[in-house]
Amino acid sequence: MLFSNTINSLENALKTSNIQQKVISNNIANADTPGYKAKKVSFQNVLSSEMDSMKATRTDQRHYEFTNASSAGAVIKNKNSSYHPNGNSVDIDQEMSDLAKNQIQYNALVDRLNGKFKSLQTVLTGGR
Amino acid sequence: MTIFNSLNTSASALTAQRLRMDAVSSNIANAETTRGKFVDGEWQPYKRKMVEIKEKDSFSSMLSRAGTGHAGNGVQVTEISEDSSPFKLVYDPAHPDADAQGYVKMPNVDPLKEMTDLISSTRSYEANVTVFNASKSMLLKALEIGK
Repeated sequence: MLFSNTINSLENALKTSNIQQKVISNNIANADTPGYKAKKVSFQNVLSSEMDSMKATRTDQRHYEFTNASSAGAVIKNKNSSYHPNGNSVDIDQEMSDLAKNQIQYNALVDRLNGKFKSLQTVLTGGR
Repeated sequence: MTIFNSLNTSASALTAQRLRMDAVSSNIANAETTRGKFVDGEWQPYKRKMVEIKEKDSFSSMLSRAGTGHAGNGVQVTEISEDSSPFKLVYDPAHPDADAQGYVKMPNVDPLKEMTDLISSTRSYEANVTVFNASKSMLLKALEIGK
């Protein structure tokens, strides 16, 4: 009860953000590679599994908590589009804005996680 | 180390882009080099160098690609190849490398092409530096968790 699902959710979100960062770095690194197809991280399955873990309720105090096993984003490849004549499909503007977005999201998640720990600490010290 | 993956990816791209810049500087420096290679007792002009890059592959990346998907390992340079397009012929009978008709073979380097290549690799280098800094600040932010 002390460590609620929030921390788990934040942890999974951080993991996904980390994978996203790896995918973006790889896409930008391969911006000039002929035939390279841009990859992206699918959040849909992560989101749905997180929603499931939120909905779960314990009917008995002796039950274990419904903590989700680690779920991180799946990496999928966009094979159809082509941005360059050489078969490369990296859209550098898209990647750079995704990079900025992901960084802010990561910082926000770390902030929230710290906030969570802070409030726990407030409880533990009795508000002193 | 898996947390430094994104830094390694950017680093491999920085290496590849720097090599492209090196090739460009070599091409421009040798734009007038009539004695690039000694073949069969005869001097050949310098040939334009090109850098071939491809996505970096490893056994572990192949393995994980079969599973949930793989973020990738960055880029690698596969080969530095030579442009086989014809040499430029310049009429200069006084030149020591002129043939019987008085023509000199000049390297197949097009400065215009080289400059665009240079700008392209510089921009890519900058983009990768930005990504590197972003990944670095994320890792530093992760150290603040629970502080």
